[in-house]
Amino acid sequence: MRRYNPFYFIGQAFEGLFRNSVMSFASVAVLMSLLVVIGGFTLLVTNIDVNLEQFGLINQIVVFCEPDASESEIEDIGIAIGKLDNIAKVEHVTKAEGLEQMKDQYDIYDDVDENNNPLPDSYVITYEENEKVVELDYQLKQIPGIAKVNNRLELATTIENFKHGVMLVFVWFLAILGVVSIFIIINTIKLSVFSRRNEISIMQYVGATGWFISLPYIIEGAVIGIVSSVAAYFIEWYIYSYIERLVMTDLQMITFLPFSDIRGFVLWGFIGLGVVTGVLGSVISLGRYLKQ
Amino acid sequence: MIDFVNVKKAYPNGTMALKGINLHIDEGEFVFVCGPSGAGKSTLMKLLLREERITSGKLTVGEYDLSELSEFKVPYYRRELGVVFQDFRLFPKKTVFENVAFAMEVVGTPRSKIVRRVPAILNTVNLSGKQDSFPHEISGGEQQRVALARALANNPKVVIADEPTGNIDPKMSLEIMSLLIKINKIGKTVIVVTHEKDLVDYYKQRVVMLNDGLITEDRVGGMFNEEV
Repeated sequence: MRRYNPFYFIGQAFEGLFRNSVMSFASVAVLMSLLVVIGGFTLLVTNIDVNLEQFGLINQIVVFCEPDASESEIEDIGIAIGKLDNIAKVEHVTKAEGLEQMKDQYDIYDDVDENNNPLPDSYVITYEENEKVVELDYQLKQIPGIAKVNNRLELATTIENFKHGVMLVFVWFLAILGVVSIFIIINTIKLSVFSRRNEISIMQYVGATGWFISLPYIIEGAVIGIVSSVAAYFIEWYIYSYIERLVMTDLQMITFLPFSDIRGFVLWGFIGLGVVTGVLGSVISLGRYLKQ
Repeated sequence: MIDFVNVKKAYPNGTMALKGINLHIDEGEFVFVCGPSGAGKSTLMKLLLREERITSGKLTVGEYDLSELSEFKVPYYRRELGVVFQDFRLFPKKTVFENVAFAMEVVGTPRSKIVRRVPAILNTVNLSGKQDSFPHEISGGEQQRVALARALANNPKVVIADEPTGNIDPKMSLEIMSLLIKINKIGKTVIVVTHEKDLVDYYKQRVVMLNDGLITEDRVGGMFNEEV
């Protein structure tokens, strides 16, 4: 069994990184920017989804009963709703529960209590298909005792369209920055390989296998990936916390996921993506030089 | 040991470097390959090192059929060879010991074996006291001896030397050639590509003369024939 010293490969990788320090720095800077942008877009989309859910805009309709409807009339409304097509779930929210929910979301209703509660009973309906929502809206309006059907379809569509727009920009950014990152990493590793071309040719003459020659460069790519992802993580953390403070002060209606909830997802996502990009850059740049 | 059977080599630009070579070298032989520039000596070397593939014919070295050898097996084949170049090709930042040891590290030799073997090889090439010196601290002849020691590190069956005396003075050249003869005497097959008439004539070994991609003379105990 052949035994190789792992420190040899790691040492060679770091030697290469420092020998071409300018290109190594450029690779880290570009890959880090890529990761910050990817992370930013991902967190934006995640927060949009959380808020859509928060506001009940995802496949939900709220119907309000007449304020003077009796308990049996309210119950009949619930039964009638349950018989309609395209219904996934029906949840009855009493006027007291409705008030409580409002108080939880906004702290400006402290003086409202059960005696002066203006809210009627309501049903929160979760439907199955978006395409049939207009038909459902019509059918709900035909049920006696329903005062208002709030489908918020227009708002939901606007937010969904915004989300798709963000995704489109995100994909383009990802593609452009991804190509630029890989291109710069390829050149960094190529410089490293070029400066060691004599060494590589000697290795080849004495019978070194392709993986023995490649491993230091692959480690070099992985190190670029790890350094970029850790740096990107701290930058993302700083930017996210700044925006979080801004939003929490000025836009209290919006829910913002705390960074502590997504810390692991961001860090490991960045490291995974960074290492894959770094190693991919190394493998592409090595191809031609490693021909025996 | 080494067999060239009607070996032809054409480069993509159309140059026909070898036009049908038939050559057999037995195990333990010493062969000078000579000829003018453009005769095909370098191409012959490249084929032996499997830097280039033959265009047609058959080339075998020991158990390896180089006409069929896959890229994956090339490193394993090269471990059977020791190569010495005109420009030494040493690592400037490694000591004499490290340069020789490197060839063994590359093929995964255990450290304990490296520590035992390297001084013994350095002794064979008369460099015992120089193992901690760097290449720039020793003479050209000594650098070539380090290259020779490195070529022997993995105990190859064949040693190929490409113009090994091209960059050193005549006295050192004789010393290098004497070492190659010594290596041959311990059972290694030695192939020396050279155009140095005096050396070839002095050692009176088998001489293969190449000209315009063909073997024009192959004689044991031969001389450098400048007329070919």
